[in-house]
Amino acid sequence: MSQIKELVIEVIYSVIPITIAILLVLVLMKFSLADLTQFLLGTFFVFLGLLLFFLGTKIGVVPIGEMIGAYLPKTGNIGLILVVGCILGFAITVAEPDVQVLATQVDLASDGSIQKILLICSVALGVGIFISLSLIKLIKNIHIKYFMVISYVLVFILALFTPPDFIPVAMDSGGVTTGPITVPFIIALGVGVAGAFAGKRSSFGFVGLASVGPILAVMLLGVLFGR
Amino acid sequence: MIISFLSGFDQVLKEVALALAPIFVIVCFFQWFVLRMEREDFINIVKGFILTFLGIALFLQGVYAGFMPLGQKMGFIIGALPYNWILIPIGFFLGFAAILAEPAVHVMNQQVERVSAGYIPQKIMLYSVSFGVAISVALAMARILYGIPLAYILIPGYLLAFLMMRYTNETFISIAFDSGGVATGPMTVSFILAMSIGVATAIEGRDPVQEGFGLIALVALAPILTVLTLGFLYSKLYKDLEEDDPEQIEGN
Repeated sequence: MSQIKELVIEVIYSVIPITIAILLVLVLMKFSLADLTQFLLGTFFVFLGLLLFFLGTKIGVVPIGEMIGAYLPKTGNIGLILVVGCILGFAITVAEPDVQVLATQVDLASDGSIQKILLICSVALGVGIFISLSLIKLIKNIHIKYFMVISYVLVFILALFTPPDFIPVAMDSGGVTTGPITVPFIIALGVGVAGAFAGKRSSFGFVGLASVGPILAVMLLGVLFGR
Repeated sequence: MIISFLSGFDQVLKEVALALAPIFVIVCFFQWFVLRMEREDFINIVKGFILTFLGIALFLQGVYAGFMPLGQKMGFIIGALPYNWILIPIGFFLGFAAILAEPAVHVMNQQVERVSAGYIPQKIMLYSVSFGVAISVALAMARILYGIPLAYILIPGYLLAFLMMRYTNETFISIAFDSGGVATGPMTVSFILAMSIGVATAIEGRDPVQEGFGLIALVALAPILTVLTLGFLYSKLYKDLEEDDPEQIEGN
């Protein structure tokens, strides 16, 4: 019960400051009462939604992530770990609400020319592949800076060939994958594998790498299908 | 009002069910073939998934019916004003408020405090990251207003980050890049992004897809630079104090 109370306080704290700030702007810029009501109704739904969602990830998604993360290294089969890591990364990203919101906004703003499902799938594929890469980094103990520099150099090279419509969307995709459902799941997976293969090596850097994948994936999507 | 607010909810429910289906299938697969946990434990996991499903559905409905249309309207109206430069301070203000309370940011601050053995206190991290994100959102608004290409800000930003990587240790680099995403919480992605799309729609010669997006990328850059800068200062100031590799402290 006290856990639920803690969660309620956490969600209230994370929603209240920005809500007050937005309300202040709405009032100062003389928006109508109907607009204010619409905003407050939205806030209420978002608050309730986040609460149930955090509760659900705590008792459902994170424990199962930890169990799979602890089980995988026991198989001792690196190939299997990489494949399962990729599939899990894909599946968890598809479920990420931040990704859904971004994809919906892109679909609307582009009048449907960048389709929601296509965008979600490429983002998820990017996360999946980069989770496998970061597992390799962890197992082989490669310094993170090589991974980061190479990935971002690739990003900027690929940007030269990407249609302009896709570049800001691609860059934004990197940020949304690190949402509230993906991060705990990925970290649980990373900690499990790190514990078994890499001794005391930490799983820091996992999330950072997972957010480069979607940038590259969406740019590729642009190169293949864009105007 | 409430009835019209709920329109399209069935569509959202369908969408969320579809989004959660793959991970749920994988979980069932693991349960049947590998994990074989007790019936009770598995039922708890399923309950967790049901709550997650309801939570995401309510959240998305709030975003689709409340935040997105209103955020766009707000951006559109303010963007069409003759004094639309006011979006820059508004962006700064909203960016600051959005981060101050983001739970993920607090987790990151605790990590940094621990890894720096207490030399970078949570308070300093919190205000530096909030300030960084505030500048990012302000820059994002300025970018739309004056049509500055995204690359003009992102490329120097990441070059600076790579330069600073040479002067900080691996733990700080990892935390820095991990934290890129923490600032982009659900409120930023839903409301502030919708607002920036609204602004880009209002201003002539701006394209909502090309100029409206890019905001999240800028917001993600702020904590990366902040953590690297603090890591750099930390290694300069406390080099002699710090003999152990901080990674050893974190490792367990």
